[in-house]
Amino acid sequence: MGIQEQYRSEAAALLSSGEVKLVIGFGAGSTADRRRPLFARTPEEAEKFVLDAACIANLSTYLVAEGLLSDGKKVGVFLKPDGIRSVNILISEAQLKPEQVVILGYAIENGKDVVPLEGCNISDFSIGEKIRSHTPPTHVIEAAEKIEAMSAEERFEFWKEEFAKCIKCYACRQVCPMCYCRRCIVDVNQPQWVSTSSHTLGNFEWNLVRAFHLAGRCAACGACDRACPVNIPLRLVNYRMGKEVRSAFDYVAGENSDQKPVLASFKQDDPETFIL
Amino acid sequence: MAKIGVFVCHCGENIASKVDTGNLVKALSDHPGVEICNEYKYFCSDPGQETVKRAIRENNLTGVVVAACSPRMHETTFRKACAEAGLNPYMLELANIREQCSWVHSDKDQATEKAIEITRSLVEKVKRNNELKPISVPVTRRALVIGGGIAGIQAALDIAGAGREVILVEREPSIGGHMSQLSETFPTLDCSQCILTPRMVEAIQHPNIKVLTYSEVEEVDGYIGNFKVKVRKKARYVDIDKCTGCGDCIQKCPVKKIPSEFECGLGNRTAIYTPFAQAVPNKPVIDKNRCTYFKNGKCKICQKTCQIENCIDFEMQDTYEEYEVGAIVVATGFQIQDTSVYGEYGYGKYKDVITGLSFERLASASGPTAGKILRPSDGKEPETVVFIQCAGSRDPSKGVKYCSKICCMYTAKHAMLYAHKHHGSNSKIFYMDIRAAGKGYDEFTRRAIEEDEAEYLRGRVSKVFEENGKLIVRGVDTLLGKPVEVAADMVVLATAIVPQPDAKEFAKRIGIGYDEYGFYNEAHLKLRPVETATAGIYLCGACQSPKDIPDSVAQASAAAAKVLGLFSREQLEREPVVAAVGESTCAGCWGCVYACPYNAIEQKEIRDRNGNLIKEVASVNPGLCQGCGTCVTFCRSNSIDLAGFTEKQIFAEVMAL
Repeated sequence: MGIQEQYRSEAAALLSSGEVKLVIGFGAGSTADRRRPLFARTPEEAEKFVLDAACIANLSTYLVAEGLLSDGKKVGVFLKPDGIRSVNILISEAQLKPEQVVILGYAIENGKDVVPLEGCNISDFSIGEKIRSHTPPTHVIEAAEKIEAMSAEERFEFWKEEFAKCIKCYACRQVCPMCYCRRCIVDVNQPQWVSTSSHTLGNFEWNLVRAFHLAGRCAACGACDRACPVNIPLRLVNYRMGKEVRSAFDYVAGENSDQKPVLASFKQDDPETFIL
Repeated sequence: MAKIGVFVCHCGENIASKVDTGNLVKALSDHPGVEICNEYKYFCSDPGQETVKRAIRENNLTGVVVAACSPRMHETTFRKACAEAGLNPYMLELANIREQCSWVHSDKDQATEKAIEITRSLVEKVKRNNELKPISVPVTRRALVIGGGIAGIQAALDIAGAGREVILVEREPSIGGHMSQLSETFPTLDCSQCILTPRMVEAIQHPNIKVLTYSEVEEVDGYIGNFKVKVRKKARYVDIDKCTGCGDCIQKCPVKKIPSEFECGLGNRTAIYTPFAQAVPNKPVIDKNRCTYFKNGKCKICQKTCQIENCIDFEMQDTYEEYEVGAIVVATGFQIQDTSVYGEYGYGKYKDVITGLSFERLASASGPTAGKILRPSDGKEPETVVFIQCAGSRDPSKGVKYCSKICCMYTAKHAMLYAHKHHGSNSKIFYMDIRAAGKGYDEFTRRAIEEDEAEYLRGRVSKVFEENGKLIVRGVDTLLGKPVEVAADMVVLATAIVPQPDAKEFAKRIGIGYDEYGFYNEAHLKLRPVETATAGIYLCGACQSPKDIPDSVAQASAAAAKVLGLFSREQLEREPVVAAVGESTCAGCWGCVYACPYNAIEQKEIRDRNGNLIKEVASVNPGLCQGCGTCVTFCRSNSIDLAGFTEKQIFAEVMAL
């Protein structure tokens, strides 16, 4: 029995036993190489789940939908390691209760083989060491190094050009599991801190706010990058912020669910490089 | 409709010499909403304040901007003036055109332009100010004194004497501090022990003082009037309630050759010990790192000797106690500089090169030599002693730029004591300046020179080395303009006073400021010398700067007076500048809870009318909030706002620039 069939029957069993009220997984997409999220509430619906190397989206983002978990019932979800990492961050930020999430874990190896991950509760997945030693895809590192090698002026020009494409559709925000605020700062209009129009200043404001709000919180799933309709390399911004946080505080977001938010908590030996 | 009054202060020449106040007044007079705009030489003066009050009454002003100095300087002054004229005091803003403008710019036109912008932005802010009411909080009328040296003891006795409870925390096994190590004290030469020990006893016996020795303050939470402190009582391994202080255990302890810290290493102590014979409490402590039992698991001779059951307890653990106090006096004292930075003086290399503090122990009747001045190397009486002043102080190359203040006086005292104890003494003092300002001080140094024949040589010492059993001190006599060499039997270094090694870390823990060295910062060097910038925390003694006993004691009494002033009230009025959470948008991530330095944010459940939990949100306790705004900047969903500095106010302020 392949992993797809195995997980279909596991999902069906979870639903028929009543342990979970919903399983979030993948279904067939609009083209052969695309998958779309499938929300199964009955064992029959669970038979439609697809699990293959095209299932790359981070489904944890649906867990923070308003009201989904407020009844205290459990939800099953298909997650790759980056999704598990997101769940760790969401738990540490009190957006999820660990006992409400049943994880159907899988990993994609060499870009084609789908293998199961042992366990079903978040505490079963000790991913700390793995994500510390995990290196992002080569193309991400190469692109980041290219930008890091630029002078400040060149870099500014580069991002000005990239952000000029931004149409303020906020797809990056909608797809990101960390953007769970019921009201985003860009939607505050009394006063209007962030300009809503898509000019250079407004675009910079939004993208910089987004970068800072994700510093020390990003699971590096790349969903923002894939969601962007104008192909701004958003994950490079997050990659750099993650690197900064790691070098300053030796902190890697989502290692476990007991972490304290790095930018909100203080330690005696925190570096004070900002004090001149 | 806003009716704003703008009052431009010249601050004498402080502002007027760099800012064209006439132009400023003209520019602001035309600004929308400004009803009246005046200038005057000193608005903080009585006629100045009267002008503001009259303008409020006559023009029915809804807001006031005083363009003058920093709010730290005169915000209170003008708030009071507004209140007296019937305007809510929080409808006032101070536009700082002095510290942030006239003092830091040289070009008059540009400074004027900047002053206009600053003032204009505050006008825009004040239009959006809300009337606020002060918050009343109760005052816990109990004080914490940290440090049991002479400063801490004096502060504790003064507060306790006025009928208030005091917790006195000392980290060493005995109170007394450095003063208990001294022999005689300048400028009267009375014995340090004779004047100090009665005060130590008074402190421990005082019904209002709880003395916690061998204890350290671990945490301080809360705010003026309502601090919560956590004290760690270090395991002493001796139950001081049971111990009678008979000293049998000390007699029998087999580990006898531990250099005594109290005697500056000139004498020895045992592993179970009291630091000195007059210690308060006179109960021993076990030095865990030196005790044979703790090292090898065998011995316990002290326990076998002790006639009281369970008095010596090797299983004792550190314990924690929590106290609620309304005020804190920090009197953590000083240390002397590590003299090894002066390799050229041979400290550590030659046994007879000692620090001034070691000399105190040699001269002390209770010291290792019973008050005889004897050389540490061979126990002989030295014929010639060289004293080197400023061995550390006023020497930027060794990291201490400041004057340690007490060394000129104690060096003169040392020369005197040496002369009194050893006839035919020959003391030579290398000095930079003789700084003897103080009651009876100059007379004292003159007496050392004229009656006790101390020979003062003005100049620095470049090197001390040994030759034929003598310490050769090579220096310069700048008054003669000649190099000099003195063959000495003993060299005494007037070592610099430095802060406690953990002073900076401790300051961070309790939330007070410190200078580049680690001495604690007062709120204002001249006008608020015993207050810190943190309300309710006061300073006294050498933790603030090098100080002698008279100054430390005076400052301790001053700190006590401040504490008692605070305790004279049952309620304290606090600024209503506090944060509030917008519950509808709060996502409950608790980032603000972690970020709040005052633990002022709690979790609150929102339930519907049937009692079903809808969500949990952050909630600010206005009694604890200090209005720092950390939570506001942290909140990603922009759900927290700070009264007096609301987003709308700040935005208007920024957009007016």
